[in-house]
Amino acid sequence: MFSTSSQRKFWTYRDEDELADLRGKHNLNYISKHGAHIDEIQRYNFFLSPDEERLLLKQYELHLKEFCKRFSPPMPKGVVGTAFHYFKRFYLYNSTMDYHPKEILATCVYLACKVEEFNVSIGQFVANIKGDRDKASDIILNNELLLMQQLNYHLTIHNPFRPVEGFLIDIKTRCSLANPERLRGGIDEFLEKVFLTDACLLYAPSQIALAAVLHAASKEQENLDSYVTDMLFRDAGQDKLAILIEAVRKIRSLVKMVESPAREKVRIIEKKLDRCRNQENNPDSEIYKRRMRELLDEDDIPHTGPSRMSLDTSGVTTVLSPSAS
Amino acid sequence: MDNDVANYSVIGRIGEGAHGLVFKAKHNPTGREVALKKILIKNLEDGIPVNVMREIKALQLLRCKYIIKLYDMFPRGMSLVLVLEYMCSGLWDMLHHSQQELTMPRVKSYAQMLLKGTRYMHAHYVMHRDLKPANLLINHEGILKIADLGLARLYWPDGGRPYSHQVATRWYRAPELLYGARFYTEKVDLWAVGCILAELITKQPLFAGESDIEQLAIVLQHLGTPNEETWPGHAELPDFHKITFPESTPTPWPELLPGVEPDAVHLVKSLVMYDTNKRISAKEALKHQWFHNRPQPAPLEDMPKPQMNKLK
Repeated sequence: MFSTSSQRKFWTYRDEDELADLRGKHNLNYISKHGAHIDEIQRYNFFLSPDEERLLLKQYELHLKEFCKRFSPPMPKGVVGTAFHYFKRFYLYNSTMDYHPKEILATCVYLACKVEEFNVSIGQFVANIKGDRDKASDIILNNELLLMQQLNYHLTIHNPFRPVEGFLIDIKTRCSLANPERLRGGIDEFLEKVFLTDACLLYAPSQIALAAVLHAASKEQENLDSYVTDMLFRDAGQDKLAILIEAVRKIRSLVKMVESPAREKVRIIEKKLDRCRNQENNPDSEIYKRRMRELLDEDDIPHTGPSRMSLDTSGVTTVLSPSAS
Repeated sequence: MDNDVANYSVIGRIGEGAHGLVFKAKHNPTGREVALKKILIKNLEDGIPVNVMREIKALQLLRCKYIIKLYDMFPRGMSLVLVLEYMCSGLWDMLHHSQQELTMPRVKSYAQMLLKGTRYMHAHYVMHRDLKPANLLINHEGILKIADLGLARLYWPDGGRPYSHQVATRWYRAPELLYGARFYTEKVDLWAVGCILAELITKQPLFAGESDIEQLAIVLQHLGTPNEETWPGHAELPDFHKITFPESTPTPWPELLPGVEPDAVHLVKSLVMYDTNKRISAKEALKHQWFHNRPQPAPLEDMPKPQMNKLK
C-alpha cells in the first residue's frame, strides 16, 4: 500500500525547491572534493553546474525511455516506471560527475527488471545495448549493489499504472461517460511524459493516475470534474479536494513543460563531463580496473575465530559509496 | 546509520544458505543478537539473485510477529549482507531432535502461529511458496516465525499472471504444482500447512516422495484418482497427460492419520484437498473447532524455549 510505503515516507518530497536543494548540494559536494585547487570563479569552466547536470539528466531520461521502448522482449510498463524512479532517486544523492548517467541508466533498468519479475538474463539484457556487451555487463553487475545501497534498499515502487486501472473500472461502473476505454491512448501518452518530469518524486501514484485520466478526458472533449467532486471526493471535505485539484493542476503543467534539451548544449556538457568526471568510477580508467581486481581478490569468508571478526571494508567503501555520508 | 559491518561482532557460523554463509552476530550498539546472511555476488552470472530481491521486498512489506524480521542490509566487498532476526531453533530441529517436546497443546500453538503468519502474508498478497518445517524458525521465547522468503512473491488476486511451478520443497508441494500449473494461488501455502500440521501431530512426514513423480503417485494413491468432482479442471493442467497412475480409491483419513482425534483429522483434510476452491484459507483454519477443543493451545510460557547460545 502506498500510504504505508517507503516511497511515501522517504522518497516523496515537499516541492521542487527541496529537489533543487538536494541536487545542488551534491553538485557542490563533488566540486569541493575534487576542485579545491580551482578558483571559485573559474570552477564552472571545468565542472558541471547544477543546471548543466539537470539538462544532462533530462537527455538521459529520454535515452532511458527509448532504451525501454526498443527493448526486446517487450518490456512491461511497470519495469519502465520503476527504472525511472530508481534513476531519479539515484541522482538526488549523487552527482553525474561521480557516476556517469549512461552506466547508472542501464543498471537501473536491469534492477527494475528483477524487482518487477520481468525475468531476463544479463546476456539477454545486454543484447539490447550497442557496443561492447561484455564490458556493459561488467559495468551493470558492478554497479548493482551500489545502486541498491543508494536506493537505501527501498526496491518496491508504486507506479501509477494500477491506480489508472482502478479509475477506469470505477468510471465504468459509476459514471455515465460513454466508452471509457477510449481514454487509454491519452492516458498512456500522458504517463510516458510524466516520467520525464519530477512528478513521481512529488506526488502520489494515484494523483498522477488521476491527472492522466483527467487529461485524457479533456483531450476527448469530455469533462470528469463532477466525477471527482461528487463521487471520489464527496465525503472527503473541501480542503482535501483543494489539495487534489492543486496536485492535478501542477502535474499537468509539469507535463506540459516537457521539452527535449538542445542537442548542441548536451554535446558540450558531455565533453565537459569526460574531463571532470571522477576517474575512480570510470570503467575505462586504470584506477578503476585496479580497484575491481582488488575487490575480486578479496577474501570473502570472514574470520570466525573467538576474537571479533575482521571488519575490513577499506578499499571497498570508495567504490561502493563514495558519496554516502 | 547502522548499516556498517563495523557495528557487528560475529559470534559464529550458523549455517549455509543457497547463496552464502549465515553467521550469528551481535549488534554492538544495542547488544541485539542477529543473523547475518551473506550473499556472495561475485560468482553469480546475473548479479544479485532474484530470490534475494524477492526476500528483501517481501520482508520489507511484512511486519508481523510470526514472520522473521529484516533489520538492515549493507554491502561488504562483492557481497550483500542481510541482517535478520536471530532465531535459535526451528521446527525441523524440534521434529528431529526433541520430538518429546511436541505435546499436543504445543502442536496446536505452533499451528496457530504458523496460520497467523500465513494469514498475514496472504492479507498482503504475498505467497510464500516454500513452507516447510526447515523454514519455520523458533526464537528464544518460543515464538514460531516464518522465514526464508526467497520464493515469496506478490500475487494479484485476479490470478492473471503465470508463475513458475518449480517452487516448494517436494514433500510439501501442492498437487497443482506437481502437475506443472502456471496459474495457481496462495492456496499452495495451505496445502503445505496441512502437510506440516499432520507431520507435527504424527511426527512423520505425510507424503514423503523420493522424486517428483513418486510424490504425485503417493498423493494420488492416498487421496484417490482425481475426478471432475474432487478436482475440477485437473485434466487441463500442463503435465496431467504426461503420466498416468493406477486408479486408486481414497484411503480413509483415519487410516492415513491413525490414532489422531477426529477434529484434527478434519482440519488436515480441509487443507490437504485437491480442489483449491474448497481448500480452506488460513483465516478459516484459525477458526477451526480443533483449536477450541481440549487440550487448549499452550500459552507462550509453556512453549519450549530453545537455548540462546546453541550453535550448529
